[in-house]
Amino acid sequence: MITGADATDTTAERSPFSDAALVAAARGGDTRAFERLYRLHSGRVLGVCLRMTRRRDIAEDCVQQTFIRAWRSLAAFEGRSAFGTWLHRIAVNEVLTYARNHGTRVEATQDDAVEESDESVATARDGVNEYDTGEVMDVERALATLPDGSRHVVVLQAVYGYSHEEVADMLGIAVGTCKAQLHRGRRLLRERLGLPENAS
Amino acid sequence: MSDQHNESARDPLDQALASLSRDVQPSRDLWAGISAEISASSPVTSSPRHSVTSSRSWLQLAASVVLIVASSITTYVVVHRSMQEQVLQAQQSATQQLQQAPVLPAMPASFGGQEAMGAGYVQARAALDKEFQQRIATLPPVTRAKLERDLADLRRAAADISATLARHPSDPLLQELLLSTYQSELGMLGSVTDMTNATETRL
Repeated sequence: MITGADATDTTAERSPFSDAALVAAARGGDTRAFERLYRLHSGRVLGVCLRMTRRRDIAEDCVQQTFIRAWRSLAAFEGRSAFGTWLHRIAVNEVLTYARNHGTRVEATQDDAVEESDESVATARDGVNEYDTGEVMDVERALATLPDGSRHVVVLQAVYGYSHEEVADMLGIAVGTCKAQLHRGRRLLRERLGLPENAS
Repeated sequence: MSDQHNESARDPLDQALASLSRDVQPSRDLWAGISAEISASSPVTSSPRHSVTSSRSWLQLAASVVLIVASSITTYVVVHRSMQEQVLQAQQSATQQLQQAPVLPAMPASFGGQEAMGAGYVQARAALDKEFQQRIATLPPVTRAKLERDLADLRRAAADISATLARHPSDPLLQELLLSTYQSELGMLGSVTDMTNATETRL
């Protein structure tokens, strides 16, 4: 099982110095250090928000709110989790808050969602070359058509590698609910992608 | 765990999901909006407190704060002017080092350690550190623990940046970060004097 820590595993590779050093500097009011943190993490945060909301404009607003909130709450970050994980928690909270405040309008129609998926996220992960762009697009499209609850869990767990407990905590649901939503989401994805049931 | 991982790696659905890119690039520069929002404020240094205090209570609170701050400043200025001078001296020394750094190609690498910041800085820091250790013992345990943790964080960050700077000696952001961290450390060491003075003044 991949854990949430994996969600930020490439940060150190991309940065000549650690998140901890940047966070310490940002805590002291250094906006350039915070900008560096933004440059390092915004792509992944946007990935989470976009796949949860299926609307690029809303997702980008959520990213901005996430980093503004993070700046204002830097003192509360105790370093018990990775900075990226902490950011993702804030981002998920922003998305859920937006959904609560705007009802179903946060969600795109299925056609819109497919279009957003096609344009926005249909690129294969570095180092993963078994899938071409068209196949990746199919996966994104299938993911975007999942019901909200299942999609949120699948995105956080299967795409970003968080554990059941972490996902349940982020979404404010029971671990059992999280497992059930994941099971449902995976079943629907298999159907829509025409994939066989895993023998195990 | 690895068996589980291998098992799921063979699952075509997991393979399909693993093919998705985790990062998505924004369609516009989101930083401009964030920067505009945060530039007006420093990061919050303590947890926000929700309050339903009436306006009268606010006035009383504000008056108390003004009194405490005024008395703290008075005591601080009169009794510990030398301490302030030491902090300023150390900060100026550090700033001078930074300003000189780009002129001399070999200088940036010298930012790697506290010693390289100059004798004045090292002396002032040692004096502040000694003062800090004495003063912090008089503070409540919770405050003491928080200060010690924050100071340890800063020193760890400084060591981290310093080590990185040794590998990237020409990175101006790293130099600024290191200087900023050293200054934050000095500020924190000095702030304990303020805090204990404020407590003593109130008593």
